[in-house]
Amino acid sequence: MNVLKGKITAIKTNDSISIVTIQVASIFFNTILIETPDTAPYLQKGNSIKIIFKETEVIIGKGTTHLTSIQNQISGEIINIEKGMLLSKLIIDTTVGKITAIITSDATDQLQLKIGEKITSMIKTTEIMLSQ
Amino acid sequence: MIQITLQKELTAASGIMLLDINIHIQQGTLTTLYGNSGVGKTSILRMIAGLLQPDEGQIIVNQKTWLDTKKGICLTPQQRKIGFVFQDYALFPNMTVKENLLYALEKGQDKEIISQLMHIIELKDLQHQKPNKLSGGQKQRVALARALVRKPEILMLDEPLSALDIKMRAKLQDYILKAHQQFGLTTLLISHDIAEVIKMSDIVLNIENGKIIQQGKPIDVFTTKQVSGKFQFSGEIVEIKKEDIIYIVTVLIGSNFVKVVAEETEVQTMKIGDKIIVASKAFNPLLQKIK
Repeated sequence: MNVLKGKITAIKTNDSISIVTIQVASIFFNTILIETPDTAPYLQKGNSIKIIFKETEVIIGKGTTHLTSIQNQISGEIINIEKGMLLSKLIIDTTVGKITAIITSDATDQLQLKIGEKITSMIKTTEIMLSQ
Repeated sequence: MIQITLQKELTAASGIMLLDINIHIQQGTLTTLYGNSGVGKTSILRMIAGLLQPDEGQIIVNQKTWLDTKKGICLTPQQRKIGFVFQDYALFPNMTVKENLLYALEKGQDKEIISQLMHIIELKDLQHQKPNKLSGGQKQRVALARALVRKPEILMLDEPLSALDIKMRAKLQDYILKAHQQFGLTTLLISHDIAEVIKMSDIVLNIENGKIIQQGKPIDVFTTKQVSGKFQFSGEIVEIKKEDIIYIVTVLIGSNFVKVVAEETEVQTMKIGDKIIVASKAFNPLLQKIK
């Protein structure tokens, strides 16, 4: 579980769904929730909040610029790789702290990922949970 | 509205314990007393039932005073309109199911309630059986029906399901909920099974050492870190297995097993038997109609 602490900077609501923007260090994360400021009192601009996403939901892109639909992108450097038969665990050092990603070992090979490499970690808006 | 204030010195395993509680219960709700053994849950029910005398207290049920130690009022258990179901059924072995129910009728009470109850709790096919021919779950259904014969103002269930296997438990929970809703009962349940508490109760009172330390909706009481994920279930860890570089954690939720992938640092904080919340976002699960 990746947990980052941030502050809510914007909330966009339509019916019962909201897109919430959270600032963690200099990075802005977006998450989509079935909640509104009426149903979840913690959804207030300026509130401190934790964002949570699973290691298996982190997408790795080689290099630093990627044109994708993925709203949350953080560039960083791989500082550790633990390679298993099928899966690999990468630790990525970023401006928001260390992020763990679990991807297939095939992907690690195909992208020829190495320690020290500059990459971009990406997380879809539908994969980020909030916690107080 | 039911108002209950009770104080009593109890002898617990660890010495003298002062039970001191103040509860307000809305009519028609199901409230669960949750906590470990020996924290005073059963004593609370027994005092409400009039089977145990508090040192000090007041019980007012729908404006009627059942107990007021200051005014010297204390109704007998028979005068209090309660239904009680215990873990050990307590049925009359020499009577059939129907006779057990008939025996609970008040003098002059309409017998219609018996067939109504046998219908709701599905006892018609068993009505001529004696208790020793029944399974544990069936006996507990009879005990539940019997507790409802006098249309109690408060139904009290003291761990009624803890002797049953998990499948039977789920079924009995459904019967209790059905009866609770159809009769508009105010129900007090004792349980230490979080999954059961979440399924059954409107309000849970978390009791420790004779005091209520927390109360509210079960999901709020049991979720310490409120996660926004809408796909949330509470369960118990039954297996943690390392596979490749990850761990697979098997969780029992109700009577279903689910498997969740976890990472080493998460698993380090967990052990088999731990109660946990399984959470995911509402955007992830697939729905597929059962053919």
